[in-house]
Amino acid sequence: MNAVTLNHLSKTYPGGKTAVDSVSICLAPGEVFGFLGPNGAGKTTTVKLLNGMLTPTQGSCLVFDIDPAQNPQQTHALSGVVTEHAQMYDTLTGIQNLIFYGSIYGLTESESQQRGTLLLKELELFDAKDQKLAAYSTGMRQRLSLARALIHEPRILFLDEPTSGLDPESAQNVHAMIRRLASEKGITVFLCTHQLRYAQEICTRYGLMEEGRLLADGTLASLRAKVCSGMTMTIKTSSIPAGLPCRQTDTCTFELAIASEEDIPRIVRRIVDAGGDVYHVSAKQPSLEDIYFRLTGEKEKPE
Amino acid sequence: MNHQMTAIIKKDIRGITSNKRMLTTLLVVPIVLTIFLPTVYIVILRFVPTEGEDMLKLLKMLPLSIQGGESTQNLIRLMLNYILPVFFLLIPIMASSVMAAASFVGEKEKRTLETLLYCPLSLKQIFRSKVMASFLLSMFVSAVSFAAMLLVLETETYLITGTFLLPDIKWLLILLLVAPSISMISITLTVRVSAKAQSVEDAQQGAVFLLMPVLLLIIGQFTGVLLVSAWILLALGAVCALLAALLLKRAIGRFQYEALLKS
Repeated sequence: MNAVTLNHLSKTYPGGKTAVDSVSICLAPGEVFGFLGPNGAGKTTTVKLLNGMLTPTQGSCLVFDIDPAQNPQQTHALSGVVTEHAQMYDTLTGIQNLIFYGSIYGLTESESQQRGTLLLKELELFDAKDQKLAAYSTGMRQRLSLARALIHEPRILFLDEPTSGLDPESAQNVHAMIRRLASEKGITVFLCTHQLRYAQEICTRYGLMEEGRLLADGTLASLRAKVCSGMTMTIKTSSIPAGLPCRQTDTCTFELAIASEEDIPRIVRRIVDAGGDVYHVSAKQPSLEDIYFRLTGEKEKPE
Repeated sequence: MNHQMTAIIKKDIRGITSNKRMLTTLLVVPIVLTIFLPTVYIVILRFVPTEGEDMLKLLKMLPLSIQGGESTQNLIRLMLNYILPVFFLLIPIMASSVMAAASFVGEKEKRTLETLLYCPLSLKQIFRSKVMASFLLSMFVSAVSFAAMLLVLETETYLITGTFLLPDIKWLLILLLVAPSISMISITLTVRVSAKAQSVEDAQQGAVFLLMPVLLLIIGQFTGVLLVSAWILLALGAVCALLAALLLKRAIGRFQYEALLKS
C-alpha cells in the first residue's frame, strides 16, 4: 500500500488559475518526501487536496488508499498537518492547546496530557507549557504546531514550510526530529519547502515543482543521473594549460566539469606537467539547487 | 454528541468567558434589561403618585387580567408581564450572535478554523458543536437573566407592596419556545453573515439587524398597535422555530471546506 498516490492530480481554482497540473507521484510508507518549488508552485494546494480541503478538478489522490475528497475524516485521523495558516488558540496555554487537540483526536485527557508533555519536552517547549500562546514567539508556535500534529501519532505528516520563521538552531532541531520520526517510527513525511538546502539534508526523495507542474521526481542520485550527471571540480592553480575546458571563478580558481573522480588525477597531472602549481583541489556533485536551476533554466530561483 | 464535539463546545464557551471584552458585552445587556430597567421603573412607582386621575384612566385601558387590586401592584404586573417579555427577547439574540460571531468568524480571523478542519471530525459535527456552544451559552445567559430579574423584581415588589407577583404563562412560552427559536435564528444568520465577514466586529454589526423585529415588537407594544398576548407569543414562537429549522438546514449545506478556507 502506498502512503501517498497522486494520479494526474489537477486543481483549477474557480478564477481559472491552475494551481496543480496533472501531477503523478507514489510514495512508500516511511519516506521523507521533499515537495520543492518556489512560492506559488502548487505545494500548499497539493497538501489541501491530500487532506480533502479541496476537490481535484481532474485526476485523484489517495492517502493510505483513502480518498481524502470522499473521506476527509478518515484521512485526518491518519495524518498530522502543519501549515502556516493552521494556528492554535492564543487564549490557551501550550499544554491546554495540546490537550484540546488530543481530545478532538479521540484521546482521553490524561493520554493527551502525557503525550503532550512528552512532545513539549522533545521540542524544548516544556518550560513554556503553562504560558498562554499569545506570549509564544513565532519559532515556539511553529514547534507547538508540530507537537499538535504529532499528538495522535499520525502515520503521515504533511509539513508546509515547517521551518519558516525559525532561527537556524531551532530549524536544525526540527529537522533532526523529522528525521528521527521517519527512521524510528516509520512516519511518512510530506515536506513542502522552498528551502532546497534544508530539504537536501533530511529528505529521501524529492519532487520538484514549478507553476503547478512536476518537473522531476526521485532520489538525489536518480535526479543527478537524470538531470545533470557528472561533477564539478574546483582547482586553485597558478596557471591552466591551454585547451583545458574550464571557467575561471576567481584570480587563481577554476571550475571544470568532470564525469567522475577518476578524471581528477589526469587533470592535475596535466597542469603540473605544463609547469603550473596546484594549491587546492575539490570536487562536488550537483546539489538539489543545481538540479532545480538546471530544470527551470535559471528562470526563478528559490532560496 | 460525542467526546470530540463536547471538547469543542467546552473550548468555545471557555473562549468567550475568558475574553473580558466579550464577557462584558454579554453581561451588560442582561444587567440593564433585567435589573436596571425594572429597578428604575419600581423606584419611579414608589415616588410618583399612582392614584391620580390620569393614571386611573390609563389603568382602565389595560387588559382585564391586570386590572383589579392596588394600582401600584397593577403597574408592576404590567411591567412584569407586558413590558419586560419583549425586552427580554433581546437577551438571547444578543448572547447568541456575540457567541456565534466569536465562534465562527473569530476562529477564521485567528486562523484556528483551518486547524480544526484538519481534525477527524466531519464538517457537520464541527458545525453542530459550534451552533450548540452558542445555543447553550445563549440559553444559560437567558435563564440566569430571568432568575436574576425575578429575584430583583420580587424583592423590590415585596418591599413596596408587601406581596409577591407571579409571572404569567407568557414567560413560560418565552423561555421554552420563543427564546430558543430566536437564538437559533440569530446563530444561523450570524453564521451566514460570518461567511463574508472578515472580522468578529463585521459579523456582530451584521447581526444588529436581527434586533429590528424585536424593536418593532417593542414599538408596537408601547404605541398600543399590538399587545403581546400568550397567543401571539405562541404563534411567534412556532413561526420562529420553523424558520430556525429551515435556516439551520440551509446553513449546514453552505458549510463547506472550500468556502471556509476562502479568504
